[in-house]
Amino acid sequence: MKLIFLDGAMGTMLQRAGLKPGALPELLALTDPEMLTRVHRQYVEAGSDVIYANTFGANRRKLARLGHTVDEVVCAAITAARKACEGTDARVALDVGPLGELLEPLGTLPFESAVDMFAELVRAGVKASADLIAIETMTDLQEARAALIAAKENSDLPVIVTMSFEESGRTFTGCTPASMAAMLTGLGADAIGVNCSLGPAQLLPVLREILAHTHLPVIAKPNAGLPDPVDGHYDLTPADFAEAMAQAVEAGVSVVGGCCGTSPDYIRTLQERVGGLTPGERSITHRSIVCTAARAVTVDGVRVIGERINPTGKKRFQQALLENDLDYIADVAIQQEDAGADVLDVNVGYPGVDETVMLPRVVRKLQEVTNLPLMLDSTNADAIEAGLRVYCGKAAVNSVNGDGKVLTRILPIVKKYGASVVGLTLDEKGLPKTADERVTIARRILDAALAHGMQPADLWIDCLTLTVSAQQEQARETLNAISRVRTELGLQTVLGVSNISFGLPNRPLMAQTFLVQAMAAGLTLPILNPCQKDMMDAIAAHRVLCGEDAGCAAYVARFAGTPAAPAISTPASPAAGMTLAAAICRGLKADAARLAKDALASVPPLTLVEEHLIPALDKVGEDYEAGRAFLPQLLSAAQAAQAVFGVIQEKLASGGESVRKGKVIIATVKGDIHDIGKNIVRTVMSNYGYEILDLGRDVPPETIVEAAVRENVRLVGLSALMTTTLPAMEETVRQLQQLDNPPAIMLGGAVVTEDYAANLGCRYARDAKASVEIARSILG
Amino acid sequence: MRPDIDEALRYLGVRGDAPASLRAQAEALAQELTARVTPRFIWRPLPLRRTGDALLLGSMPLPGQSAARMLADCQQAVILLCTLGAEFDLWLRRLQARDLSAAAVLDALGSAYVEAACDAAEVEIGSRYPTMYLTDRFSPGYGDLPLPLQPALHAAAEARRIGLTCTDTHLMLPQKSVSALIGLADKPQAARIRGCAHCRISKTCPYRKAGTTCAF
Repeated sequence: MKLIFLDGAMGTMLQRAGLKPGALPELLALTDPEMLTRVHRQYVEAGSDVIYANTFGANRRKLARLGHTVDEVVCAAITAARKACEGTDARVALDVGPLGELLEPLGTLPFESAVDMFAELVRAGVKASADLIAIETMTDLQEARAALIAAKENSDLPVIVTMSFEESGRTFTGCTPASMAAMLTGLGADAIGVNCSLGPAQLLPVLREILAHTHLPVIAKPNAGLPDPVDGHYDLTPADFAEAMAQAVEAGVSVVGGCCGTSPDYIRTLQERVGGLTPGERSITHRSIVCTAARAVTVDGVRVIGERINPTGKKRFQQALLENDLDYIADVAIQQEDAGADVLDVNVGYPGVDETVMLPRVVRKLQEVTNLPLMLDSTNADAIEAGLRVYCGKAAVNSVNGDGKVLTRILPIVKKYGASVVGLTLDEKGLPKTADERVTIARRILDAALAHGMQPADLWIDCLTLTVSAQQEQARETLNAISRVRTELGLQTVLGVSNISFGLPNRPLMAQTFLVQAMAAGLTLPILNPCQKDMMDAIAAHRVLCGEDAGCAAYVARFAGTPAAPAISTPASPAAGMTLAAAICRGLKADAARLAKDALASVPPLTLVEEHLIPALDKVGEDYEAGRAFLPQLLSAAQAAQAVFGVIQEKLASGGESVRKGKVIIATVKGDIHDIGKNIVRTVMSNYGYEILDLGRDVPPETIVEAAVRENVRLVGLSALMTTTLPAMEETVRQLQQLDNPPAIMLGGAVVTEDYAANLGCRYARDAKASVEIARSILG
Repeated sequence: MRPDIDEALRYLGVRGDAPASLRAQAEALAQELTARVTPRFIWRPLPLRRTGDALLLGSMPLPGQSAARMLADCQQAVILLCTLGAEFDLWLRRLQARDLSAAAVLDALGSAYVEAACDAAEVEIGSRYPTMYLTDRFSPGYGDLPLPLQPALHAAAEARRIGLTCTDTHLMLPQKSVSALIGLADKPQAARIRGCAHCRISKTCPYRKAGTTCAF
């Protein structure tokens, strides 16, 4: 394989030619294209096969301020680069850098707006006849995704993608090389790698990691070492740089170039040093991986898929879906993560719920609270696509089956977003009885996946569990099918195990035994409730017996110090004499929940709230105001109260009275995304029984007004942290006060004062406790 | 580099002695914070020029009295940008979903940590200018130094190299970030910002009433 040489720095060369710090270099394409052509030409003469046009920051957001269009600048920049290639075979890349604004959830830029801005740039590049697209210097995996999806949707050009890693081995946003490689490979990049941030020696470990996780050509385009802050000089000479790059080539890197601090000298020296080398041999294994930016889960042993995010048979979950209560769903995710799940199945299908809206919404929420990869579980192709579109990382889809119509509908979506997919061994004729027939269907699904350009590692086969009390012989067939799919097809296997025990006594024992037999047969991805300790215990033991848990370390850590029997644990009883109020005051969540459960046997929910919960919160609130307790203690008490509300909700979900008082809208105003203060207010107020409609952060005035009217809300709380977002607060207040029957408004946040609020005709909420007092005076 | 626990506790409203459990929680979280998050900073010196009434840093005008007063004795000033980075924000967001009480403590520790990082950056800057004197650092929003200066400061010091961005409303993201100017003078600089004498709430300050200070 022949090495491909990219170019070196453009910015460094332009600064040497007199570009002022802070000036936007993209405009040179219009003001001094000859200067660009001269720099490009030097790189072509130094041996670059590909040069990057000067379009790094040529996006709408940056150019709009300067009164220029993307088309105009991109066209001029590519023309200047093309001119430098005349008479050579050198190619011109459209250079696509970060937008300079953080995407949700780190910032406020919505994913589709980012795709849209990149798409404009890509279309301009295609129009100007770029030869390829080079997405570079990305630090947020979701932004790299947006750029790559825009490139694939708007051109047929080859796309190469490089990201910038720190010495920690992660990007600024915590993205790992394995996650980056798994996701970009799945999305169809043509080559991937690293650029900028550090010198070649520091980036070598990252490069090795990427090389191990993709079959694509790998790119190294590092800096000339580190810059001196005083004079901006980089510390590697061209010879040092080339020497370190030779190591990268020996490791298997096949596309090389330089970033900040490099010049044509560096590229020429690099040519001389590595031009004759053949990239080191790579042993490429296609692994089964799903990932989020910060966590890649490789299926090289048993990996647990948590099944609890699913409304089937769960009243409280159904209620949460219908009420759009994403916090409850997030909580279910967190519990499963803490219990040891590796992947979470996400199913939001329920009558009255629009999955195409709810699935992406839940995916976004879950990705804010957990690092675990998700498996999107739906039969609705549109919902799957909507969910995959916003998912950052490489997801799994549950599921397709042997029905040709299903395969042609779902597989293109799976392929486009680079996901893994579960294939159920059934088809339009139903679920076959024998292992033989199930393997045949699995083979058919595999053929279809391969025909769609997928890797076998990304197909997971589910041989399906039937209830053993109803169809006893089927348990053997399922186990045989698993074993054959593993050995004959070499695929990963998925299985929901709990169905096995319906209708039998001692269900946990049956489920656990079946799980153990299935793992012995080759099951790698059990779907189960990880909060059931005996199931996770069995997996811990299996990992020892199959050699995965080296030295039994994890097993010992899990069980050391626990008595062997009895298997049935009794809940620890709360400290003798502890009252519910005391448990809340001291922030003891588990005790508070247990005492509330006991109390509800004799006390109605409303009485519990009014006579026990609220007085306890008031006591902590008084201590807080008097400086005897501090914010973390106030919040601990609120969290214990929240646990009590959880118990009450559980009881009410099966029908009953409401303990909710009035509705309150809270929001952080447009342009502001600091929301911990608002979240504190939400938690404390909701535990006084107010129903909080939290509209989030960066909320436009119109959204707040619309919600206030729709929900007939009598109290609205607005938060702003910065003086620059006060105008947005004022505008929101103005619009609310123009309503026919305007709600009361309370204002809070670091820059808000009592006078400021009074001048706007609003109440001043100094802190969460004050918010509660205001709500009491207005809503009771 | 580590956050000052007492400073973080003060951000949480603690005056005098913190409850032992709260201090222990803060110390444990501080340990995790320093293990998980490495603050990043970048700085860049630029020449100061005075033409008529205007003060220019490089080619960037520094409007207002505050900058003129702070940099009166200086021929150069350093732009300092510092951030805990996006990983901190993600962590804080996750912790809010799990344990809001702990998140409030982490939030305060993050503020103290980014200040500690700025202090470390100042030491580094001082060591590169052993014969010069540094002014107190001051930021857009201080006195009449306008917040809209933010994008220009970011561009001049290449904020993207530490993953720092600025929204259209001049908010810095990631959230725990500082942008500041530090003047370099050839004679000793009096404290102009730090200390009660320069504080606008010194007459009503709850710390002073309690016989102590906020230690800034």
